[in-house]
Amino acid sequence: MSHTLDKLSAFRQGVVIFVYLAVLTVLEYFVAVTFNAVSILVVVAVIKVGLVMYYYMHVYKLNEESDADIHSYSYKTGTNRLGLWLFLLSDAFVFAGLLTVRINLLGLTRPHLNQTLGLAVTAVLLVSSFFMNRGETAMAHGDKKGFITNTIITFVLGLGFLLGVVAVEWPLAAEEGLTAGSGAAGAVFYMMTGMHAFHVFTGLLFLVVVLNNARKDIYSAEQHWGVEAAAVYWHFVDLVWIFFYPALYLIGKAL
Amino acid sequence: MQHFVIVGILVIVMAVLTYVGLDSAGLMPVQASAQAVSIDWLWNWQVVAMSFLFALIFVPLVYSLVVFRRRKGETGDGEHIEGNTNLEITWTVLPLFLVLAFAYMGAYSLGEINRVDPDAIEIKVRGQQFSWTFEYPEYGIVSTELHLPVDQQVVLLMESSDVIHSFWVPEFRVKQDVVPGRVTRYRITPTLIGDYKVRCAELCGMSHYKMENPVIVDAQVDYDAWIAEQTAIAAAAQTPEAIGQLLTVKNGCIGCHSIDGSKLVGPSWLGTYGSVREFADGTSAVADDAYITQSIREPLAHEVAGFSPSSMPPYTALTDEEIANIIAYLKTLK
Amino acid sequence: MKKFFATAFARGLFWQFIGTLLGAGLITGIRAAMGLSVTDKFFFTEPAWVLGGFIGVLFFLGGNGAVTDWFKWARGINTPEVHEEKYSGWEKYFSVSLDHKVIGIQYTVVALALISIGGLFALIFRTELAASQLQFLTEDVQLFGQNGPQLYNTLMSLHGMIMIVSILLGVSGIINYVVPLLLGAQDMAFPRMNAFSFWIAVPAAVLLLMSLVLGGFDTGWTGYPPLSARAPVGMQMFFLGVFTAGWSSILGALNVIATVLRMRAKGMTAMRMPIFVWAAVATSLIALTATQLIGLSFQLVMFQRLFGMGFFDSAKGGNPVLFQHLFWFYSHPAVYVFVLPGLGVISELLPVFARKPLFGYRWIAMSSLGIALVGFVVWAHHMFTSGMNEYLRVPFMYSTLLVAIPTGVKFFSWVATLWKGKIETPTPMLFVLGGIVVFLMGGLSGPPNATVSTDLHLHDTYFIVGHFHDTIFGGFVFPFFAALYYWFPKATGRRMNETLGKIHFWMMTPSFFVLTLGMMRIGLLGMRRRIADYDPALGFDTTHLVLTIAGYLIGLSVMIFIYNFFNSIKNGEKAEGNVWNSRSPEWQVPSPMPMHNYDQPFEVVGEPYDYGLADSKYVEFSAPAKSAHK
Ligand code: HEA
Ligand code: HEA
Ligand code: HEC
Ligand code: CUA
Ligand SMILES: [Cu+2]
Repeated sequence: MSHTLDKLSAFRQGVVIFVYLAVLTVLEYFVAVTFNAVSILVVVAVIKVGLVMYYYMHVYKLNEESDADIHSYSYKTGTNRLGLWLFLLSDAFVFAGLLTVRINLLGLTRPHLNQTLGLAVTAVLLVSSFFMNRGETAMAHGDKKGFITNTIITFVLGLGFLLGVVAVEWPLAAEEGLTAGSGAAGAVFYMMTGMHAFHVFTGLLFLVVVLNNARKDIYSAEQHWGVEAAAVYWHFVDLVWIFFYPALYLIGKAL
Repeated sequence: MQHFVIVGILVIVMAVLTYVGLDSAGLMPVQASAQAVSIDWLWNWQVVAMSFLFALIFVPLVYSLVVFRRRKGETGDGEHIEGNTNLEITWTVLPLFLVLAFAYMGAYSLGEINRVDPDAIEIKVRGQQFSWTFEYPEYGIVSTELHLPVDQQVVLLMESSDVIHSFWVPEFRVKQDVVPGRVTRYRITPTLIGDYKVRCAELCGMSHYKMENPVIVDAQVDYDAWIAEQTAIAAAAQTPEAIGQLLTVKNGCIGCHSIDGSKLVGPSWLGTYGSVREFADGTSAVADDAYITQSIREPLAHEVAGFSPSSMPPYTALTDEEIANIIAYLKTLK
Repeated sequence: MKKFFATAFARGLFWQFIGTLLGAGLITGIRAAMGLSVTDKFFFTEPAWVLGGFIGVLFFLGGNGAVTDWFKWARGINTPEVHEEKYSGWEKYFSVSLDHKVIGIQYTVVALALISIGGLFALIFRTELAASQLQFLTEDVQLFGQNGPQLYNTLMSLHGMIMIVSILLGVSGIINYVVPLLLGAQDMAFPRMNAFSFWIAVPAAVLLLMSLVLGGFDTGWTGYPPLSARAPVGMQMFFLGVFTAGWSSILGALNVIATVLRMRAKGMTAMRMPIFVWAAVATSLIALTATQLIGLSFQLVMFQRLFGMGFFDSAKGGNPVLFQHLFWFYSHPAVYVFVLPGLGVISELLPVFARKPLFGYRWIAMSSLGIALVGFVVWAHHMFTSGMNEYLRVPFMYSTLLVAIPTGVKFFSWVATLWKGKIETPTPMLFVLGGIVVFLMGGLSGPPNATVSTDLHLHDTYFIVGHFHDTIFGGFVFPFFAALYYWFPKATGRRMNETLGKIHFWMMTPSFFVLTLGMMRIGLLGMRRRIADYDPALGFDTTHLVLTIAGYLIGLSVMIFIYNFFNSIKNGEKAEGNVWNSRSPEWQVPSPMPMHNYDQPFEVVGEPYDYGLADSKYVEFSAPAKSAHK
């Protein structure tokens, strides 16, 4: 693990990226409500994904030199990291498939949903990503307490997102007549949010596991692959939402 | 060098023999449509290419096996040849030309098939488990036989009532799926008078294998005569019984229900009306108007012993009057 | 017997059974509480069966111990890096082992078992087809809640999917056994995940077979809705089974890529990897990504059935053709998952038996990647008649034709490898050569399907059936047998019987030619696929009878193989050294392969296939390999 940044600048970087992401999200929202330009929304989403992949998920670490000894922790972490990214690549195909289904069935229309709630849950997930980054950074600098606090915040926000979608948004939508069986829009909406919620749920489990292990002191500044994996996975789930949010809430005409 | 000459000659001999063999084996059914001509033309070139390419690989392979085999008592390895970039480029580029040729011929042949005749006759086709019905909107005719005039383009507007089917007359070559929720088109110009069959080519359930209806290509006069005859029948269908009968054809009921007592997907209608129906759960009921109406609208309501009610789609679009006509028709089947 | 019931295999099945009942019971309980119906034609209701099937898989994995270590990790407990084997005899193969060699053999044996079951199904329905009119699968027959023709459809569909799953497992078997050995690695990158990938395939196979008795299904292996949205409960078990098997494939592929990227011996640059490794990587790239789409497409139909979600229901604004796109986005590339490893085996073995370097190594390696990549953009050639947008047909025709070029490079290079060799033809080589010719026939019957206008005639006929049996046999089945004959001595220290091997080959190959050429002929003349009975007026009776006989002969030859395989484990002629005089590293050490592969690490110092070049070496061991085992 190479820490090119000292702890403080690493935290600072997290804040700057968060501000970028937040501004872009707000921009996205206003673009959508004022003039519905799909191409701008796509560009914004791609920029957001790039920021998350580079700064929060540090994809560049895939390229990092590791210890030459196959049995060293660092070499194994390199292998694990590759494995995790391959898994994410594979998983991305599910989500890409769902987006294809959405585009094919709904085209330039979208389900009629509560905009405020959509923006709210999106914000919650985004903030959770920020704290996840702080948690991981803390651990990378050997700050166990900082890790635990930030990760608990992440967990709470993540839970908030999950409940916001499943326990608030779903019943609301159902009340408005958008049910799983009501038609293509309903089917797409529940499938996309459901599949994403399932990933959020597994991410939460993952957080519980690393929190518990951190409590047992098995991570250190040098050896904390578990934490890194949980964080990368968490950001991946966020990254999916970066596409799903405009796809469900912003693009096209509401039905 | 000598090896190459021998192999070269053998390749040509084998390619020619293979082609001649395949060509004379009668691989295609009769050619009965204009579209079939351009399909068979392309197919023929495919056979030429296949014969040649097969020989091109097979001959040197067998030749090496025979000539370069390890002889008794021989030790040691073959020659150390690692590869040859020029050769590799050659056998990447030459097939590329072949591919381009087929790409061109494929597009050309597809264009020929799709050529539109503005005077084409439109016929509506409905596919349902497990039969076809044909409607001639101009004349108000509904039939389970497809009659086509020879040398005249027709375009079939095809719809499905339930699952995906596929319209295929092997002698016409072309095939087109029939998909629920959309209309697909099938354009054909029959060129040979004769009796054929449309064979459903997409697995559509239990009796998919039986989903065949007659297709008859007539000379223009015979076609006109058939149209006249059918129009007369349709016009004569003023009684409820006759209208009912037409409805059962039009809605594809007769794909599953026979009127002669033989068992198809559903129970035969012969003698159904008024009889006592035995159900799978041991109960029974008399087949009166209410029972028949329910059977048509909600087939799942009861399970006639020996049949699976989920096979029959619920016909909710039929009006009360239409059902009354069907019942009137069923009454005649004694 | 008692020992058997103590194995992880038996425990897993037991827990799967319990899990299925529990899951189904749970839903049934909930439904009862909600006042919904609790029983159906097959005892449980459909949702109950689905959840039961799913929980059954989880219980299998929990119960047999494949995930125990992960749970320990989650609780912060470390587990030993390498497991010592608890068993030494046959029990080893029924227990959860982390050794890639054991897992490779487990995969292979399960694949053989599935080929037998799938083959048996084929023989049953081929018997029905031997003459026109329904013979024994008549409408009066009732079995597993299906009548005769429905049973035909179920058997035919299961034949297709079971065979495909068996191919995926067979591919994993060979790759698992061979790739770490070729790389000089101790094991795969993620041994536990490797074991997991294998074990998840077992409950998947059980689910597939369950579909037969739960009313079956009548959609073919492609499961197109709306038909699959109406089929009996068996359909759900089929979907769930394939979905589960898909995970085996995805995680297995992930492992292969990571292994190849991270575990190569010193000096093994990309262009010095044994050629089979290239094939394994190309295959894995497809399996890793595309497999998700068949999983998704099946999941969507499952949800359509369970929750009325109208993805493919045109009455609800859904689109039935969309399913076909999702399905073929996987299932076309999947056919290259089947063949690339097989073609890799061919490329790997040819130089050994021709005693010549592999002609154009680089080109062959790149052609594997090329096939895999182009294979991603050709899927709609299965849908030329489907009613998709017309203008899509032409680009897909072109992209499909392009695949012929990299494939052709392989063929030409193989022939050039044989040219001027000193060719030996023991059984593995026979299967390699057979594979080349059969795959050539299959491959050449591809372009006529690819040009739209001819495909309009060929689609959904026995011509297609002939095409893919040729490609699958040539690209997978023949090379698979070749690989088994070839690496058998490595795994067991004994050879398989050569005479029986030759009988196997000479019985299977001609029958096979008869089978597929006959299929193609009647297909052209109007024989549709997937029909329980055909019109006697077509005059196909004789041909079909011949096809059935040929099918039986193939079955018989496979039985001979299976006998030979199991018999030789105990009684085969001893073969401890470099049986085939190969340059490959795994043959430089004694057989059977030592427990942790290479006692001495090796370094790659030359080209892999420099046959015919005096004193050239591929690998150099850091100390002379111990000559005797243990
Ligand atoms: C192992 C599996 C495998 C392989 C390798 C292939 C290889 C190919 N397949 Fe096949 N195919 C299947 C398995 C496979 N297929 C299956 C299972 C189905 C049916 C699925 C179902 O519906 O159930 C199917 C169906 C199928 C269809 C759909 C048919 C239909 O349903 O209407 C098409 C259409 O384009 C097609 C084309 C091709 C082509 C062009 C290749 C090419 O890759 C072949 C390339 C090889 C060669 C061409 C030979 C060697 C090359 C040369 C000697 C060079 C020179 C040659 C030329 C320039 C032509 N296949
Ligand atoms: C690996 C792939 C594979 C293999 C090896 C085979 C092998 C065979 N296939 Fe298969 N086939 C497919 C893949 C395969 N098939 C697919 C994907 C389909 C499409 C399905 C669909 O349309 O949905 C298909 C469809 C298909 C059809 C078309 C059915 C239809 O459309 O109605 C036919 C018809 O003849 C057929 C025949 C055969 C025969 C005779 C063999 C023979 O080679 C079989 C030989 C027999 C054996 C190998 C078994 C030997 C062992 C024993 C007998 C021992 C048994 C003992 C115990 C179980 C204890 N197959
Ligand atoms: C796909 C096959 C199929 C089609 C098409 C079909 N049916 Fe049926 N039908 C069945 C089956 C199977 C049954 C037995 C169902 C049951 O047990 O309830 C049945 C039962 C019936 C019955 C009760 C018969 C009895 O013996 O008790 C009537 C009446 C009937 N159908 C009328 C119709 C009419 C009218 C149509 C067309 C508008 C039609 N069916 C179309 C399959 C079909
Ligand atoms: Cu209709 Cu098959
Ligand atoms: Cu394909």
